[in-house]
Amino acid sequence: MLDERIKKINVDFNQDISTVNDIKQLEELRLKYLSRNGLVSQLFDELKNASKEEKPVLGKVLNTLRNDITEKFNTLKIHLDSLEKESVEKYDLSLPSFERTIGSKHLLIQTLDEIKSIFKGLGFSVIEGPELESDFNNFGALNFPPDHPARDMQDTFFINSEFLLRTHTSPVQIRIMEKTKPPVRAIMPGRVYRNEAISSRSYCVFHQVEGLYVDNDVTFAELKGTLVAFARQFYGENLKYRFRPSFFPFTEPSAEMDITCFLCHGKGCKVCKHSGWLEILGCGMVDPNVFDNVNYDHEQYTGYAFGMGIERTALLKYGIDDIRVFFDNDFRFLKQF
Amino acid sequence: MKVSLNWLKDYVDIGNISIPEIIHKLTMSGLEVEDSIDEAELYKDFIVGYVKDKKKHPNADKLSICTVNTGTEDLQVICGAPNVEAGQKIVFAPIGTIIPNGKFKINKAKIRGVESFGMICSEAELELSNDHSGIMILKQEVNIGKSIVKELGLDDAILEIAITPNRSDALSHIGVARDLASIFDKGFHLPEISIQESTHKVKELASVEIIDKINCPRYSAKVVQNVTIKESPEWLKKRLTKIGLRPINNIVDVTNFVMYELGQPLHAFDLDKLEGQKIVVRSTEAESVFTTLDSKERKLPKGTLMICDGEKPVAIAGVMGGENSEINNSTKNILIESAHFNPSSIRRTSKALGLSTEASYRFERWVDPSATLLAAERAAQLIANLGDGEVAHGALDCYPEKIKEKEVLLRFDRVSKILGYQIPKEKIIQILKKLGLKIVFESEKEYRFLVPTYRPDLEREIDLIEEIARIYGYDNIPTISKISISLGEKIDESAFEDTIRDHSCSLGFYEMVNNPLQKEQFASLTGNKIQILNPQSLDMAFLRTSLIPGALGVIAQNLNVGEKDLRLFEIGNVFNQNFGKEEIKSFDDFTEVQKHIFILTGRINEKMWNTAEKPVDFYDLKGFVNSLIIKISLDNVLNDSYYHNEDSIFDFYFTKNYDKEEVGIGGKVKKEVLKQFDIQQDVYCFELDLTKLKKIKANPKKFVEPLKYPKSIRDFAFIFDNYVTYEEVIKFIKKSSSELLKSVKLFDLFESESLGKNKKSMAFSLEYFSEERTLTEEEIEKDFNNLIEAVTKNFSAILRGA
Ligand SMILES: [Zn+2]
Repeated sequence: MLDERIKKINVDFNQDISTVNDIKQLEELRLKYLSRNGLVSQLFDELKNASKEEKPVLGKVLNTLRNDITEKFNTLKIHLDSLEKESVEKYDLSLPSFERTIGSKHLLIQTLDEIKSIFKGLGFSVIEGPELESDFNNFGALNFPPDHPARDMQDTFFINSEFLLRTHTSPVQIRIMEKTKPPVRAIMPGRVYRNEAISSRSYCVFHQVEGLYVDNDVTFAELKGTLVAFARQFYGENLKYRFRPSFFPFTEPSAEMDITCFLCHGKGCKVCKHSGWLEILGCGMVDPNVFDNVNYDHEQYTGYAFGMGIERTALLKYGIDDIRVFFDNDFRFLKQF
Repeated sequence: MKVSLNWLKDYVDIGNISIPEIIHKLTMSGLEVEDSIDEAELYKDFIVGYVKDKKKHPNADKLSICTVNTGTEDLQVICGAPNVEAGQKIVFAPIGTIIPNGKFKINKAKIRGVESFGMICSEAELELSNDHSGIMILKQEVNIGKSIVKELGLDDAILEIAITPNRSDALSHIGVARDLASIFDKGFHLPEISIQESTHKVKELASVEIIDKINCPRYSAKVVQNVTIKESPEWLKKRLTKIGLRPINNIVDVTNFVMYELGQPLHAFDLDKLEGQKIVVRSTEAESVFTTLDSKERKLPKGTLMICDGEKPVAIAGVMGGENSEINNSTKNILIESAHFNPSSIRRTSKALGLSTEASYRFERWVDPSATLLAAERAAQLIANLGDGEVAHGALDCYPEKIKEKEVLLRFDRVSKILGYQIPKEKIIQILKKLGLKIVFESEKEYRFLVPTYRPDLEREIDLIEEIARIYGYDNIPTISKISISLGEKIDESAFEDTIRDHSCSLGFYEMVNNPLQKEQFASLTGNKIQILNPQSLDMAFLRTSLIPGALGVIAQNLNVGEKDLRLFEIGNVFNQNFGKEEIKSFDDFTEVQKHIFILTGRINEKMWNTAEKPVDFYDLKGFVNSLIIKISLDNVLNDSYYHNEDSIFDFYFTKNYDKEEVGIGGKVKKEVLKQFDIQQDVYCFELDLTKLKKIKANPKKFVEPLKYPKSIRDFAFIFDNYVTYEEVIKFIKKSSSELLKSVKLFDLFESESLGKNKKSMAFSLEYFSEERTLTEEEIEKDFNNLIEAVTKNFSAILRGA
């Protein structure tokens, strides 16, 4: 009797499995035949009731049935699984995605950030000051005498006879020294104004970073060393430099620092006006008259100051040939950096 | 200023030093050579050619076909000059030559069908003068086929030097030569003066009186009689043209020559036109009008220093002569003025008249008061030597109070304290002596020097230290590679704005930098504007009172180029005159504060295959502002107010407040405002006052342990009257619940006919939990039901789905 049932189950199973089309139906098939309460398990339960003679024979047949069913089941499962995987590939992964925007800082600010971080590493504080300044802070205290041609170096926008738009960040030097006793070691970034005709090379507004260090034994040799360290970090380790005498009313001795033109490597090109050198900053030792104006003892203290234009630096670094692009705020430009 | 190297060599022995070396050393000692022309290099390929034959070009009326002999061959050359003729010796540029004017290379060319193998040059093409009327025709003595460098004596170098305002002494060949003498330690000498004077005594021919002694400390003059006004000799014209001056006549050329030689501006008066043959120097006592020699009428302010004759003004002192005393071809007798004027006075006049001349440029920087007589004599000598006049005996020299040479002390240890490097004492002394300083006292540690009057910039010890350093060479002072700095507190005042910048970028905004100068219309939109006294244009005549107009300008510009979806920010200072202040007299009369602006327009989401398009709206703006405020931990410190006022540049807007003080404002910009900028789409912006925000103490960040107990969520929806605001409901819900309610979120909002007229539905999700325990269903239900009852009662609201 059991024998017949085994045969029937085998026929039924073959019949059932032939109708299975997907994983879900296969699972139903498994529950019907191979689960703990399935038909095959029931047959094994019934085997207990068989006679001692029949048991080994039926047992063997039953095992064969089970192995047979299991094998057919597994083969079909592998087949159906593989079909299932193929259906994942229906996603067209090449479809465009929706990018979230991360904005960016203005290129001038990025350049300024780089300069700030180098000087912060060299132990400088960062101090700010107002753009609408007094004539005294912008000129008088910085040793520009009234009616002196030195004032022609900086064409000024005036508010009236006593107030103006600062022409350089140097008045912040005066503000710091009026508030603090030495040592003073700070850079002063900010916006400055010059009443100059707007062209590809000059704009009426631009940005500067001023630097000031005052202490007991600050020397010109240290000024050179510090600025060379800055230039190497900013422009590259292998740069060549030179310090050229110049004139600023608030420093003496005064210098301009040039580096080898990195566009032509010193051979001479349009950008460096065929000199092979690029002027990157002005600097010098703080003039004793400036110390007198802020009540520092010019016998005891010495100091250096320097200043550089951000626009010029960024123009050089990014190969931009028109300063006005910085102030046009064309979205297509802003997105590039 | 242009200087000629050959001219310099008249005063300093630098004959054996190469041109590049001279240029380098000048630049490295503070006389920056901005440009230079080495003639020998520039003209090396040009040769003397001979025009053997000239024919008309068959296809062009104005062109000639010339046969030019180059000494070795005959070449066919097309020439367009009207003055070319057979038999001329000319400057020929063979193929491959670079023409100085325009820097172009001569190639073999076909001109209107005829081949040309080189070019016959004009003076303009060679940059020898501006004459481009025809080719340059050479004297017959020059040798065919030889380089023009030799044949025409083009062996000079012309240096363009940038002179800083402190170095008035270097505005002459003598001044530059003196620096070269010190730099190279070479011999230096002034021109020698010896004049053949006539028997006529100058004092009997003219007189000088100074009334304004403050503004004219010295006035020297020489008189030359029976002058012949004519063209200058070649050598003089050549000297002047080389440095870019146009020769005029012998007298003007001599005065220019002396100015560029000694730095002293001279003026030649027609002595016979001076009333009473008298010079009187005085300042005007009232505003007046004067016609200068360029035939222009000038308005003179009160206090203008004038040169007058016995009756009337004849020149604006130090700036320009008058038409009424100008020399002309019939002039017979001249008075050569050589004066020292007060620099401030000349500068004020020059500024007031808007008239800057070579003379005023030098006078306002200081000319050497000790050298006026020398310069007058030098000019007289040159005129006499040209055979063009008779120099009267003696000089007029009015110098009431002599300007003394200053004494300056130099301590050698101070030199090393400033420079950080010890320059040998002998070197220091040598440098200063070569610059013309004299030692008046010396000891082991310090020297006292007498500074010549041509160096007004050397007044203090530090001035001498600079001279020593620049001549010694900055490059010879070591660049130290180790520094020590104090470990005191370091401050970064820009840290706050930089944080705001970073967050703004994270939120997808791009940074602008705008010009704070704008037109009145825009500055008036947003505040109490401040005007620029001397603006460049009306478009930049006021300082911005807020960042909004500038940002709107940027939006407009970008819309014009097709960029329609914009998210921008800016950080910058804005300026407002304080109310009730008529004028800015102190820092209390205006405020300059730092602001931040977010500005948005267009779509926040563009349409994509899986995303719907969404235009920017007020709630996007509010969201961005709130995100920023949360990031800087001020969300629990600031509160909002909402407005629909007419009296604003916004249709509707909100403010961020600290206590009662407004720290930010923004919303949807009114159409009328946008129209002023030609903007046709909606724009939202918000401006924060960073100066105020910076001062507010943020909530300190504290660690909160993650919740260990489950949260329970309950939802409800009510029908409210339309006028009930979200804010009112939220506040009421929070107030009416126990502390178990931790958050409330609006998740649905709509109006519909089915709700009834002027009704709206708001659905909220409420989150309950405790940090200490798991809440029971009962206590949550109790709280929730109480809340439903309270909301229903308070707002006469109807619970939906109940
Ligand atoms: Zn270059």
